[in-house]
Amino acid sequence: MPRIYFKTADQYVEFAEGEEVNVLRMAIRDGIDVPWQCASGNCGTDRLVVEEGAENLDPPRRRERARLGELVDEDYRLACQTYTRGDVTFSWDPDQVGLDDEPGDGGGSRTGWAGTG
Amino acid sequence: MAELMSSSEFRVALEQAFSGTMAKDASFSRAWATGKLHKQHFVHWATNHYHYIGPFGDYLGLMYANTPDHARDAKDFLLQNMYEEELSDDRHTDLLIRFAEACGGTRAYVQDRNNAMPFAKGMQGWMYYVSGRENFVVSSAALIVGLESQVPSIYRTQYPTLINKYGFSEWEAEFFDLHITSDEIHGERGYQIVLKYADTPELQQRCLHYVREAADMRFAYTKALYETYVQPDLGPWVEEDEREPALVG
Ligand code: FES
Repeated sequence: MPRIYFKTADQYVEFAEGEEVNVLRMAIRDGIDVPWQCASGNCGTDRLVVEEGAENLDPPRRRERARLGELVDEDYRLACQTYTRGDVTFSWDPDQVGLDDEPGDGGGSRTGWAGTG
Repeated sequence: MAELMSSSEFRVALEQAFSGTMAKDASFSRAWATGKLHKQHFVHWATNHYHYIGPFGDYLGLMYANTPDHARDAKDFLLQNMYEEELSDDRHTDLLIRFAEACGGTRAYVQDRNNAMPFAKGMQGWMYYVSGRENFVVSSAALIVGLESQVPSIYRTQYPTLINKYGFSEWEAEFFDLHITSDEIHGERGYQIVLKYADTPELQQRCLHYVREAADMRFAYTKALYETYVQPDLGPWVEEDEREPALVG
């Protein structure tokens, strides 16, 4: 089974062979603390560094390219905008906030939202 | 008498409840994804879609009012969903109208309720009914799991065709791009709410019932789009591999 390895949290999610899955959706489904806010490609809070498996990701579309700018060329992807069909490894800064926010100014993420408890 | 399912069993049951009648497989969606539609068909689609999802903020508002205070995470999710539909970025209905205008339609035409099929009005009425009258868990199952979570699977097939085959720009087709990803997350959070708060066998069964009904409603609505607007131009829908081979010579 292909897997997404969320290296910073040291957790992974598996999915069925032949499927293409949204990276942020899989993280939320399994309660993995990837930071995020808008889920629409606007805030950049969920930018992840692709450490391995870039060839398994779909190419970035307009919103993601516009939000990330030159970070696209530095192996960054937005979890909410990215689909994978195979193994991939991501890392991130656990304290990161939105690209337009300063740390500590209230641009905090929604990690941990709606645990199924 | 049904037993209380575990969270993972219930999730599988919810996924199976709509897997046989997904709107991506209805004739209008198939004609779209295989490049058969003309621009005026898209104007009709956008007009009907406007009257079906235009009041989504209203539906969510009714659900919000029906959600008890102790389910604060569910209330917050509904509020965030409402905000994301209406205010956080371009208003979603404006993106829909942008697409209709790119196809030759006008804002006034799209917004005129007289231009929508009875099926679209029925869909709208059903959503007002479920969101206003049902337990918030059941309406979340119906509207968010049954309908909203289907959206990425529909638009992920249709969006590349819009760009590559029909020749729309990414800007003109932004409505679809936005929903591919935002509804992945809304859909998943809808699942989390339903899995958490459907905590009796009766509630679980009622959720499943409404997910099936939602999928049936959307499938019938999508099929009606084909029969009303496309069939007069292209004839009844036949899948490519079921068509008669072309006569040679
Ligand atoms: S969560 Fe805001 S860009 Fe992905």
